[in-house]
Amino acid sequence: MGLTAPHVSLSVPYVSRLAPPASSLAGVAFVLTLIGATLACGLEMLEALAIVLAVGITRRFRDSLIGAAGAALALAALAVVLGPVLISRVPLAPLRVLIGAFLLLFGLEWLRKGVLRLAHLRSPSSSFKEFVEEQEELEGLELPPPGRPDWAGRTIAFKGVLLEGVEVILIVTALGARPGGLAPALIGGGVALIAVIVVGLVLHAPLSRLPETHLKYTVGIVLSTFGVFFAAEGLGVSWPLSDAALLYLAAAFFLISQLQIRLLTRERAGVATA
Amino acid sequence: MSVLRQLRKLVLGETWSLPVGVALALGAAGIMRAVDGDDGWWHHAGGFILLGLVGLALTGSLAGALRARHR
Repeated sequence: MGLTAPHVSLSVPYVSRLAPPASSLAGVAFVLTLIGATLACGLEMLEALAIVLAVGITRRFRDSLIGAAGAALALAALAVVLGPVLISRVPLAPLRVLIGAFLLLFGLEWLRKGVLRLAHLRSPSSSFKEFVEEQEELEGLELPPPGRPDWAGRTIAFKGVLLEGVEVILIVTALGARPGGLAPALIGGGVALIAVIVVGLVLHAPLSRLPETHLKYTVGIVLSTFGVFFAAEGLGVSWPLSDAALLYLAAAFFLISQLQIRLLTRERAGVATA
Repeated sequence: MSVLRQLRKLVLGETWSLPVGVALALGAAGIMRAVDGDDGWWHHAGGFILLGLVGLALTGSLAGALRARHR
């Protein structure tokens, strides 16, 4: 890894701590960070889009977009504060453990749900279904007369985008906090944003055709992989093959989760026939 | 209140078993590292031990979900 000192003083400049590692295997980390950030951010943004579309179609697009824009501003402020403060103020080893813990919490939760869905013990993930449910809930709320602000619509759009966006900010900050990780994390977030806006602008029908369950399962593997990688480094571990360890860690998580899917599927079949 | 509940769910997930499992895994790893020091076996093998502990945490939370479903 690029930075191996057990403790970095508070005076180390923010930018130098983000410098990419010299390792020739840094490309592995770059690609995995890019994939993880793109998929995780894209899926969270899709869920936010489902809420904004539901409010816009059921009520008014103007109020829905005002609520979403307010949330985007709040999230931008959070990102500006969170990233630099975390990366420049917290010593490197505890920071890696903290980030690893966050990534493990997110990643393992996505992986847990993915395993349960793929074993048919949980309904498949669907932003389209959430969109329809949100629309049905909103139909019961009274719409104010034209020209008056629809605070209910604005609040629902604001809350939906804010809650999904906080997860995006935390994931991008965590993935971007490693040396050389900021560029692929930001590029991934940007690509996801453009893709989701295109989906939202063109039509919302593709929402129902996305293989969300499999995509979220993949994100779970990628985030859990980075979680173990960072946390172990923060705890003084030196990974064999440096950044390429991400590949065998991802393979290990894939194998563990596939084994669990098989076991749970067999268990479910046994219960069904009993 | 519902926003707070949603924020908790967002950070910690839907179950307590997974965050508790992650905390135990990291705690155990921290203790092993402290006992072993900077250049012992932990430096080379600790990552695989942490991977195993995290795998156990995931398995435990899935077993919990399965038990809850059977009840």
